[in-house]
This record gives sequence, C-alpha cells and structure tokens, in this order.
Amino acid sequence: MTGNRYAYLWFIGPALVLMFVILLLPILIAAGMSFTNYSLGNSSADFVGLENYEKIFTRSTYAKMFGATFRYVFVVVPMTVGLGLGAALLINSLTRFGDVYKTIYFLPVMAALIAMAIVWEFAFHPTIGIINATLEYGCGTFLESWSWYAKGCARTFPLWLTDRDYAIWTVSFIGIWQGFGFNMVLYLAGLTGIPRDLYHAAEMDGARSGWDSFRLVTWPMLGPTTVFVVTISLIRSFQVFDTVEAFYPQGGGPSKSVYVMMFAIYEKAIQQNLMGIGAAITMVFLGFVLILTLIQRWLVERRTHYA
Amino acid sequence: MRNRFSTGETLKHVVLILGAIVVLLPFYVMVTYSFKSPNEIMTNSGGLFGAQELFLDDYCVARGNLAADCMVTPWIYNYTTAFSKAPLLRYLANGVFVTASIFLIQVIVALPCAYALAKLRFWGRDAVFGLVMFCLLIPVHAIALPLYIMLAKLGLTNSYTALVIPWTISVFGIFLMRQFFMTVPDDLIDAARMDGMSEYSIIWKVMLPTAIPALMAFAIFSVVAHWNDYFWPRIVITGNRDLFTPPLGLREFKGDADGDNFGPMMATAVVIVTPLIVAFMLAQRRFIEGITLSGMK
Repeated sequence: MTGNRYAYLWFIGPALVLMFVILLLPILIAAGMSFTNYSLGNSSADFVGLENYEKIFTRSTYAKMFGATFRYVFVVVPMTVGLGLGAALLINSLTRFGDVYKTIYFLPVMAALIAMAIVWEFAFHPTIGIINATLEYGCGTFLESWSWYAKGCARTFPLWLTDRDYAIWTVSFIGIWQGFGFNMVLYLAGLTGIPRDLYHAAEMDGARSGWDSFRLVTWPMLGPTTVFVVTISLIRSFQVFDTVEAFYPQGGGPSKSVYVMMFAIYEKAIQQNLMGIGAAITMVFLGFVLILTLIQRWLVERRTHYA
Repeated sequence: MRNRFSTGETLKHVVLILGAIVVLLPFYVMVTYSFKSPNEIMTNSGGLFGAQELFLDDYCVARGNLAADCMVTPWIYNYTTAFSKAPLLRYLANGVFVTASIFLIQVIVALPCAYALAKLRFWGRDAVFGLVMFCLLIPVHAIALPLYIMLAKLGLTNSYTALVIPWTISVFGIFLMRQFFMTVPDDLIDAARMDGMSEYSIIWKVMLPTAIPALMAFAIFSVVAHWNDYFWPRIVITGNRDLFTPPLGLREFKGDADGDNFGPMMATAVVIVTPLIVAFMLAQRRFIEGITLSGMK
C-alpha cells in the first residue's frame, strides 16, 4: 500500500506540467514580449516599454480593429442569443416536428466554418451568387416600394462582402447563422428544467397571456442559462477568424472594416513577423476574455446567494 | 378555441420553416454546385442536380488529348477533380490522424488527473483543482502566438507534433471527468483495492468503463472542434502540403480557383463537411450532449 501513497504524483504530474507549459507559460511569454520589438530570426530584441500598447490605443489601424471587433460582437451576441431563445421557445411549444427544426438549426454548428464560409462567399457573389439572383426576382413587385430595394433593382444589389458599408454586417450575419443553433440547444435544455407547477402557480396569480408567463416564469428561470449563453457567445465571437481570413486573406476587408482582433494578431505576428505588437494585442484580447468571464462568475455567484 | 390553437401552431411552423430555409441555403448551394457544370454555375441554371450534360474538360484538351475524349459528366468531373487536383485523401487521413491523436492523448493525460482530483486525498489537491478552474478561462486560440513562437524556437513548426501539442492538455476534459468521477461510489474503488488492484489499474479497468458515457460526449466535443479547426493549422503549417488538414486543403483550393474549379471546390467542401454531418444524423442526441457539454462549466 505504501507504494500507492505517491501514485497521485504520477496521475497529476503530466497534466500539471502540460498546464504550465502550454497554458500558463505562453501567457507569461506574451506578456514579456509585448514590451519588446521581438521578431523571429532576430537574435536579440529591444525593450520598448509601453510603445506597443500605445500604438494599439492610438493608431487608426487599431481603432479600426476595435471598431470591427466590437461591431461584430455587439451584433452577433444579441442576435445569436435572441434567435437561440426564440427558436427554443417556438420549438418547445410545438406539438409535432420540433425535432426536425432542432436538427436543421444545429447543422451549421457541426459544419466546418471555413467550408461554409467559402460557400457563403459564392452565395453572396454579386453576379453569379444565389442571393442577388433571388433578389432580382422581386423586382417589379410590391417590394420596390421599399426604397432600398428599388435602388437595388435600378442599379445593382449590394456587393455584400466587398462593399465597405456591408462587409462587416455580412460577416456578422454568417456568424449569427453559424452560432444561434448552439444557443438554441442550451436554451432547450434550460427549458426542460423549468417545473410545470410554476406555470400553474403563475396562472393562479393572474398571469393571463403567454407574455405574462414568459415574463414571470420562463425568463427568470432561464437566468443561469442566459448568463452562460451570453458569456460563451461573447468569447466565441471575440475569436472570429475563419470567415475573415477566408474572405480577406490580405488586409482585413474593404478599408479594414472587418479587421477583427484574431486576424490582426495573425497578420501582424505571423504574416509580418511583428511579434511585439502581436503579443500586445494578445494581452489586450486575454484581458477582455478575463473580464467577461469574471463578470459571468460574479453574476452566477450572486444568483446562487439569492437562491 | 381549437381553431385559434391551430392557426397559432401554423404560424409557428411558418416562422420556423423560413428560418430553416435560411439555415439550409448554403448547404443547398454547396451540394447543387458540386453537381453542376461550370456553365451551369455561371448562369445559375440546371436546377437541383444540374442537367448532367457532357461538357469539354479544357485541362484534358490542354494536355493534348482529342476533344472527343475529353467530354466529361459534370458531377463525376467535380468529384474526381476534387480528389485528383489536390491530395484530398491525404488531407482526410491527416485530419483523422490528428483528431484521433489529440483525443487519445487528452484522455491519457486527463483521466488519471481527474481520478486523483476526485478520489485521492493528497496535499495541494484543492490548489491543483483551483489551477484547473483558472486554466478553463484561457482560450487556446488566444495564446496561439506565444505557442507558435515556442514551437518555432524548438524547430517544430510544420510537423504533426505542432498540430497536436497545444491540444494535449484539455483542462475542460479534466474538469468534466472529475465531476463525473465524483458521482462514482467510493465502495467500488475500495473493493478494487481489496482485490489488490493498483491505483493505476483502477483508473483503466474500473473508472474508465464506468465513464464511457461522459467519455463519448467528450470525444464528440473534441473531434468536432479539431476536425473543423482552421486557425491553429493555418498558423503552424506553412507550405508543406503533406501536413495539410482538410480545412487547409480546402482553403488552398480556393486560392487558385478559377471558373472551372467552382464545382470541384464545392465537391471538396461536401467531402469535408459530410463525415460529421452524417455522424450527427446517426447519433443526434449524443452529439448535442457532447457539443453542449461546455454548458456544464
């Protein structure tokens, strides 16, 4: 038996070593490097203080980077959460065929995003794409009373991915398309956890409409699910890369309007070998993720104290 | 009342069907284009599966063959070109190898650690678990840059090692298995110890079999994430096509796509996306469990 006393060392040892080397050490390296002008192949690097961070918070390129990232995140997160919840509520209230919709809406979560991005690029193609071709069918109908539509018919419909005004929203749309099925499944799981009795109790207390029972029972009971769904959607959408790289391998889209953070790290560090600035963006990125997760944990804990 | 109920139900179906059309649109585009000839793709004609009229393969003519010998059926042309123009089979094999290696190593590292955290008492256990909880906060993609530099310093970029190493430690796997092991009764382990089993064989002969359901869910979570991963392979594999995973192979295809290559490219996309979709259709409940596992964090 005494031989077994230290067995745990063999069990946790490999995991501990890997955690330090693969997860913690890189953060320290990035932190250190963000104060230098290091690049691969150079034997030495100079200490540059806060210069990299100063660039990130003053240069217009990085202002665009934050603009694109936040635009994407603040469109994709509410939309994926809202559509996920909406789809879950609708499917949950169906008497039949709910599973069919669930399967369909979950498909994009399974499909390799890089492959689907390439397909969407086809669909959004200005001349041979199915989307503008379909829009053209609507010309000459009542739809032309919508001035945006009439303009599209008279001249051309948007170029979507290559138009500065549309690019980030089109990329966001693909993010929403890909992500809301995941949230729907989490919400469906949350909905099955709500006891039926609560709805009866709410009815007794005078909840008349469906809206009342949603407001009084469903929404509060889904609170923990919502906190989790919002956090995970935030972290995932901050990490958007595949679509951006597929559409704009160079430069981050028309006038850098889709220059999101992960792409910026890739471009600066990997393509241009500017490791210092890449490391600084990495640190800012990790800061965002950390703050978001801490807010989530705080919300979860506050809730459990109430309960 | 009955009538109002069914109009409500119908309305819900209308909304959900409209949603389903948008969701399925790219899948429709992908599959139909993989069946169509270049001309049909350019003119948006040919219906669902194309007319399958023979067309002239320009590359074949360029190689000095007679035009009459170079007439090809669109869907056969698209799928054979997908496999012949790039070593797609090799990419698929790489994908399988990398995904399987990652999962195996994750289990070998995580399972003993989870067992120790759940069932053994030792000094510093809470600290180790605290560390696991902290590491759950770190998205590996976000620290890709320092990892890349470390691998470059070791001369390991452009290798299978580089594709696998960052994913060998899954703190999420440790956390998940630990939570599962907590529910396994101590009596089971004590009985095994009485029988003279070593701690090591308890893990693999007693704990592993009880953990199969959790392990399956984790397997799906892991395989889906790494089969579809594009960001990390893009960073560490530069140029060496022998090491390309399916997403990289498809991306490269796009890089040199001209008009004639749209069909084959879509065929490649179909080939890459299909395995997971088919597996998902067959074991839907398990898949949804696996993918949403992270919901337990």
